[in-house]
Amino acid sequence: MIRLRALAGEALASAIAQPVASALTLLMVAGMVVAVMLTTGRTVGAEQRVLSSIDAAGTRSITIRAEDAAGLTSEVLDRLAGVDGIEWAGAFSSASDATNSAVPDGVRVAVRYAYGAQLERLGIPERSPAPGRLAYASAAALTQLGLPDAAGSVTLRSGASFGIGGALRTPDFLAAFEPLVLVPRDEASGVEPVNLLVVIARSPELVAPVAEAVVSVLAADDPGKVTMRTSEALAELRGLVQGQLGSFSRGLVLAVLALTAALVAVLLSGLVMMRRKDFGRRRALGASRGLIVALLLVQTAQLAVAGVVAGLIAACSVLLLSGDPVPRAEFSAALGVLAVAAATAAAAPPAVLASRRDPVRELRVP
Amino acid sequence: MASAVLEARGIVFGYQRDTAILDGWSEAFAAGTMTALTGPSGRGKSTLLYLLGLMLRPRAGEVMLEGSPTARASDRERARLRAERFGFVFQDAALDATRSVLDNVTETALYRGQLRGQLRERALSLLDRFGVTVPAERRPGQVSGGQAQRIALCRALLSEPAVLLADEPTGNLDRGTAELVVSALREHACAGAAVIVVTHAPEVAQQCDREIRL
Repeated sequence: MIRLRALAGEALASAIAQPVASALTLLMVAGMVVAVMLTTGRTVGAEQRVLSSIDAAGTRSITIRAEDAAGLTSEVLDRLAGVDGIEWAGAFSSASDATNSAVPDGVRVAVRYAYGAQLERLGIPERSPAPGRLAYASAAALTQLGLPDAAGSVTLRSGASFGIGGALRTPDFLAAFEPLVLVPRDEASGVEPVNLLVVIARSPELVAPVAEAVVSVLAADDPGKVTMRTSEALAELRGLVQGQLGSFSRGLVLAVLALTAALVAVLLSGLVMMRRKDFGRRRALGASRGLIVALLLVQTAQLAVAGVVAGLIAACSVLLLSGDPVPRAEFSAALGVLAVAAATAAAAPPAVLASRRDPVRELRVP
Repeated sequence: MASAVLEARGIVFGYQRDTAILDGWSEAFAAGTMTALTGPSGRGKSTLLYLLGLMLRPRAGEVMLEGSPTARASDRERARLRAERFGFVFQDAALDATRSVLDNVTETALYRGQLRGQLRERALSLLDRFGVTVPAERRPGQVSGGQAQRIALCRALLSEPAVLLADEPTGNLDRGTAELVVSALREHACAGAAVIVVTHAPEVAQQCDREIRL
């Protein structure tokens, strides 16, 4: 521990004692980070914006509509549980008209029974305080029902009443069914007829295979009365956007990293040649080769970290001031790690060169 | 005679393959003694010092440190021994021009796995003792040659080494400073170390317990 602290302290002191070389190293790394952030980073930020727009459009959803005669039941969810690549699935009954219980002649909204696990994704609590007796309505539905505070109840035409348990967060894939009121059915027996099945694939590229798998487990009495809509085209577009921008970005980042690493290696090689007497003296006084290598690597890594921080601050400031998209923190972090790793790796050959300085030769040369 | 801290046994060495500066050279250096290595230039005095200080490996023969052979020791082990058991004073002081006087004195702490801060007080006390009057934060380029040599002496004495090797430590010094340096070397020998001094100065050799002429 003391050795590590001493090494880090010595590396820092050496960096400070050589201000020109240190400033050049720091500037090179910072410049590299700025260059990547303002080119690839900007592209990645734009890509993330485009992708999130595509994702918002429900890239990964598969929607199946079944007529009453199709014979689709809530048991389909049990079969879907065995299909890989599904993030979420929910089934919904056909719609029944309902009104605000206090206004029997009021505006009617469609109420559907909802089946499936993880309905909290829609804003429905995992455990209902009154199972089977509560309905959850979207903001649009609550407005139409005249229940803006999500308090009250709705009554179906059949006479069944449900208290309003809370507001729904209507996801994109159910936006077409607004105004939406759902009654969660926690204890479904599997025979309940369903008219709408929504499956969310784990990733856009899984939409096509998952859709095929879903069709194979539907077990509808009359497949002709079942229609499926997928976002496969959007998923393909997403893959295309990601692939195009991704490959362009990778190439550019690698080129800039390689250039920076080469510059750091050249700079440090020059530094080692200039300071060969210094390394010879260190060796004579008892520094091992490993210590000399570690010293130079830690010193370079410290400067690279400072360069990364400076570069990120500068680049993010420019991007924010110009209104351009800033890439996600993961991108910046990965870039920082890569920059430090590249600079440190580039310092390895000069460091080894320094460690092999012959102390006697350096001490004898005036 | 006290037991040998450092011993050369039949050392053979030459920078060229077909010539040998030292051919079967043997000598023992006891604790508490100060030895002068003298002789004309080019006879291998400094080379011998580097061999005894484990910076060079003899072509044949052995350097024994505190009874243990060193010829087959790894480079890492020899570096460790240099850091922990030896102190060096080089002819031109060999200070780090980019670091402060205090940093130069405490330099070897790192090689022994110590923090410089732990030795700060002792370093300042040594600088004071040897009359280095410049501020410890100053760079070696801002001090005189005599002061630089005394700083190098402080660096060598900081770890209280068992063996102190000095190569022409008074070569560039005025008489007063030279006497101060020699008395410091003598004092270190009296404290139990083996001190070996390469010198051309007869007055320095006279102050040693013995003189070995190459």
